[in-house]
Formats: sequence, structure tokens, C-alpha cells
Amino acid sequence: MTPTAIDALAARLLSSNDIAGVIEAASTEEGVAVVLEGLGVAVDRAPANAELLRAAATTAVRTGDHVRAHEFLNRLGRVEPRLATLQFVAATRRSLNTLGHPAIRISLLSSFTIDPLVPFVDLECRLLGLEPTIAVAPFNTWEREMLGQGSALERFSPQIVFLSAALEDLLPELAGPASAAELRDAGLAAVDRLVVAATRFTSWSPAILVVHGLHSVYRDPLGPAAARRGPSRAEMLYELNARLAEALRALPRAYVLDLQDVLTRRRGGQVDNPKLRHLAKMRLSEAVLDELARTYAQFVAPVAGRIRKCVVVDLDNTLWGGIVGEDGPHGIRLGDTAPGSEYREFQKYLLSLTRRGILLAINSKNNPADALEVIRSHEAMILREESFSAMRINWENKPSNMRAIAEELSLGLDSMVFVDDSENERAVMRQAIPEVLTVEMPRDPALYRETLERIPQLQALIVTDEDRSRTRQYVERREREQLRVSTQSVAEYLNSLGITIDTTPVSDKTLPRVHQLFQRTNQFNLTGRRYELGALTSRAGDDAWRIYTTQVSDRFGDHGLVATALVKVSPDTWVIENLVMSCRVIGYGVEDALLARLSADARSASATWLVGEFVPTLKNEPARGFYARHEFERDAPEGQSERWRRNVAEHAVQMPPWVTLRSGNGA
Amino acid sequence: MVPEAVVARVLGMSRSAVTDATSNANVAAWDSLNHVSLILELETTYGVSFSAEETLSMIDVAAIKRVLRSHGASWEGA
Repeated sequence: MTPTAIDALAARLLSSNDIAGVIEAASTEEGVAVVLEGLGVAVDRAPANAELLRAAATTAVRTGDHVRAHEFLNRLGRVEPRLATLQFVAATRRSLNTLGHPAIRISLLSSFTIDPLVPFVDLECRLLGLEPTIAVAPFNTWEREMLGQGSALERFSPQIVFLSAALEDLLPELAGPASAAELRDAGLAAVDRLVVAATRFTSWSPAILVVHGLHSVYRDPLGPAAARRGPSRAEMLYELNARLAEALRALPRAYVLDLQDVLTRRRGGQVDNPKLRHLAKMRLSEAVLDELARTYAQFVAPVAGRIRKCVVVDLDNTLWGGIVGEDGPHGIRLGDTAPGSEYREFQKYLLSLTRRGILLAINSKNNPADALEVIRSHEAMILREESFSAMRINWENKPSNMRAIAEELSLGLDSMVFVDDSENERAVMRQAIPEVLTVEMPRDPALYRETLERIPQLQALIVTDEDRSRTRQYVERREREQLRVSTQSVAEYLNSLGITIDTTPVSDKTLPRVHQLFQRTNQFNLTGRRYELGALTSRAGDDAWRIYTTQVSDRFGDHGLVATALVKVSPDTWVIENLVMSCRVIGYGVEDALLARLSADARSASATWLVGEFVPTLKNEPARGFYARHEFERDAPEGQSERWRRNVAEHAVQMPPWVTLRSGNGA
Repeated sequence: MVPEAVVARVLGMSRSAVTDATSNANVAAWDSLNHVSLILELETTYGVSFSAEETLSMIDVAAIKRVLRSHGASWEGA
């Protein structure tokens, strides 16, 4: 098959009214493999053509190319987010081999027919590189299911549960003439039903629970007079939703989903389909399902650990309009009016990402002096030098810069997001480093902000103190690096840093950060075991387990809580289930100090053995050799995993000499 | 697009297998959820809106065509 033959076929496919006919003829003449290549070229040229994507998926299935079939189905679902299309996508997928991606178990509970949402949620999970199992509880059984006690929901043991109860189901009086004032008590009782079920559920399930906020399909029966008569129904809804959010906040692992926000953000189409509401007990119309499933994905991604840590941005036509090297620092478009205000709005969102732990970096082809002049001096810039944890402004190719940035920040390439207005640069990045999430940016800069807002991999379920100060910590790190370069030896450098370490048992306040460390840490992670928040909560309250946390500071600032260990204690032996440390502090001896503390505590509890494991993963090479370095002895090998032990009754692990322990917490 | 093509696409059948007699009684894939999909697709394709009563009556291709014609939808020559 020659490129010309494939191109010619692609051209025929793009211009034909009878795609099926072209495929049929070409399959006989040139073979189905050529047809698949031709379809691949055609859908890249016309990425929004649903009919071509459907044909491409079907052909990929026929040729047995299941990887591409999944890919075409993903694109088809995005291009044509209609129920029939998504049903086709999901049904076609059932005949395909799985891709071996991580699994995720999701339950949907509802007071109405939620089944139409299933293929939409399935698609979102696939786009996150997950293979979902989605269970739908029988119609209107949510209260019974959430009790647990042997319910199907309990047996399914989901990782995340979405509860959608419609206000008109909880409060049938909503359809009648009652005013908001008259409905208030019944409305609060309806919220109570949700809260009681959520309370029961979170008492037995370790899953994340997401509860839909309430909305009304009916207008206020008092019409324009409603708000003059007393509280309107709109005001009542605000109150009920605020009450629901407040109650869920007090429960562990419970979240409210702002349904009204989802409804206003949907693209086209009615919120309510009255006919299907009556006929099929559907409470959300087809037009809402796509946006709702995308919102679900914002919860699913963090639960499944599908998170990214750094957004790497281009400059020209990404952070400002125009090209600084040609237009000059004063000729670029950036200000309070369009064109230019779109970029400022985008920069403001990027700034807000840094406030919850996402790092920013620059990867730009420019003269550094031109670009830095804008970043330092342009009065309309929102992001300044200190907003960026790393900068590569040069004439290198962007994949090399990306690798350098990842290395500088000690992050994996699969932690990176790439944002660039140039289709060409994006294609180069996708080709060179597929692990990087290269965002398909719209042409219109006015859409930049919402494009980033919708990325599930940039969402978090919990924002910790460490997240809020992460960008500042990377700036401090640059200063440390300068000190390291100016000191003579490693020992002198470590001594001059003035490292202070505080190791304490986990508390309610630090548990979310401990959970996050276990979830996010890839490199210094001795076993790769991850723990759900519920599992950690129960171990924190169990005498057979100890969870240690280590906070670190030095003369440049506070690193925060950067290391944690989960230890199973028995009278004679303490087993380190896992010990993880943020890669930001690799090389300071923090892990050694933590191990010394475990050794000392085991010894004072009269235990003899401190046992640790090393299980190799794709990324934890930096943690290999940890136990050997501390003169642990290795048990007989057993597969991939290594088990190490040390008699701490006889030989305690030494604290690194350059470390100062915070007073009052020595062993 | 002819109604048979919409039915074939939604139910995952080949176009030639769909006739006036194709109905929810003789096609396993034509379940209640796919019925909803089918109605939504027909409404989108022909720019019409069916009542609940019509929706319930459209359980075979002949009935679908009858209801579509009563809405003034046409597909001949499409």
C-alpha cells in the first residue's frame, strides 16, 4: 500500500455521499487494511465528521485493530454526544478486547431513570485511560441500597458513587400551587432524606460519594410576583442546596455536585424533556448528559489517580496575542479590552491553578530577553516570574525542553500538561512524548480558559496546605540550588541548609495530605501500594497500625509534610507496609531520618525486627537500595518483591548528622 | 436519510435487514432504552417532536413512517 493510494482513498471518502459504497468497493479492490489507513487519514482531515468516524471504528473492528477501534470510538463519542451515538460506541466496545488499562468501579443511584447517562460516563472514563465497570441500582432503590447491610451496592464495592435524586421525586408538592414558604419544611425534610442516606453510606463504605444538588423543572407558580410575596422558589432552592452542601461537608468523602451549574453549561438543547420525563421517568434530557458526564469525570480522575501536576505553557498567542519577537513587548495584545482581555482571563485561571498545587512552566521558542521583558515589566501580565516553577525560553525543540523541565522539577512526563496554540507544536509533542497530556486548544483564545477548566486530570478532591504553597516551594528550591552550586562539598551544603525535621503520628488534620502523598508519589515509593482515604482512616484508629508523618523545613522555607510511612506493628516485628517521600526533598536525608525514628520507636516498644519491602514499579528506581544502604539483610528472594530486615534491638538506624529534630518529638 | 437507515443505525442492524415489519417484538436490541434513543434520533433527523402517545405507538417501522408522514416529514429522494 503506497501513501498515494491511501491519500487518494482518503480524498474519495471525504468527497463521497456514499461512504459505505466507497469502503465496500475499496475493500474488494485494495483490501480492508488499506481502507483502514485511508479512513485514518480522512478522519484526521475532517475530525468532526461523525459518519467517517463511525465507519473508521467499524472498519477497525473488522480488521481486528482493537486499539484503533477504541481510539475512533472515543473520538466519535466526543464529536457527536447524542444518546444513540454513545449507545453505539458502548455496544461496539463490548465486542472489543480490553486495553488493559486500570479498572474503576462506579455506582449510579437515582430516583429516576439514569441509564442513559451510563454510556456517557463510560466514554469519559475511557478518555481518562480507565476501564470502567458501571453498576446502576434498580430504579428508586437508593435509600435501601445506601444502608449497606448486604445490599447489592455493598457487594459491588464501588470506588465512587453518584447519587442523583430529583427534587420533584423527593417533593411531589413541587408540581402544585404551594408557595416557597409553604414548601420550606417539606423541602428541608427532602434534604434530610439525602443527608441521612449519605451519613449511613459513608459510615460503612470507603467510596467517594457524590450527591447531585437540587433543581426544579417547574417554574415558580407565582410567576413574576414570586419574589415580592416572600421567598421565591429560586431562593428556596438556594437554601436547600446550601443546606445539602453544608451537611455533606461534615461527612467524610462526601461531595455535592452543582447540578444547576452543569445545566447552565450544557451545549444547546433543553434541560428538561417533558415527554420523556413522563414516559421514561427521565429527569435529565439528552442535552445535559454530555456535560454531566464530563463533570463526573472531574471526580473520577482524582479518585483513580489520573492527575497531572504541571501545566507547561507556550507564550506567543498562548499567554498573550501576537509574537513578541515581531510585534515588540508593547505591540502584543494583552490588556483589559479584546483582543487581549481573553489572554488575561486565561492567565488568571492559570494563576488560580498554582493556588491549589498545580505548577506552571514555560516552554517557548523566543529570545529570552524579549519574553522576559514582557513577563517582568508588561503592566497587564498576571503571571510573573515567580508564578513559574521552571522556564525554558530558547530555540530548542519543545520535546527536549519538556524533558528538561520534567527533570528540573523531578516530575514524570506523565505528570505534565502541554498548552500551545500551534497545531504543529502539539503534533510534534504528541508524537515525541505521548505520555504528556497535549491539550487540543481551540483557535479562539476566548475559549482557552474554559478548555483548561474542563480538564479532569487537573482536578483535586482535597486541597491541602502543601498544595497552596507548592509554587513558592519550588522557587525556594531554585535558591537552594544556587547555594549548592556555591558550596564545596555535599556535607557542607547539607549542614548549611539547616534542615529541621518533625516526625509525628498522623492526625485528622494531616490524614488528607498523607492520603495524597501515597496517591501522588511515584519515585520514592518503596512498594507502590496506594491507599484509599477510607482505608487510611480506619488504620489511623487501629492499634495494630501506625502512620508516621514527617514535616521538613530549612533556612529557605517550609517544605511541609513530605514523607509518610504506614507500619504494621506486632510485639516482635514492625513491618513497613509502605514509605513514601515527595521527590522535592530527595537527597536531604529525610527518608533516613524517618527510618531512624521507626527504628527507635520499634526499639522502645521492645520489638526486635524492623522489616521493610521493596516492590519495583515502573518509576521507583530512586527508592531501590534504600534498605541495603541502611544495612538491612535481605530475606530469600520471592519473585519481584524484596523483603529486608534489621535487628533494631541490637543496631539502631542512625539519624543523619546534619538533621535537627524539632524539640519534643525525639524518640 | 430514510427512516430505515435511522432504525438500522440506532439498533446496530444492516440497512437491508430493516423492513416495514421490523418491530420491537422481533429485534432484541430494540429495548426501552434504545426506543428512547430511536425517538430522539428521529426527532433530530427530521426536526419534529412526537407526543407521548405517538412515541408509544412507534413500535415498528411502518408505524414510524406513518407518524413521520403525519408530521409532514419527507425522505423520498433523500
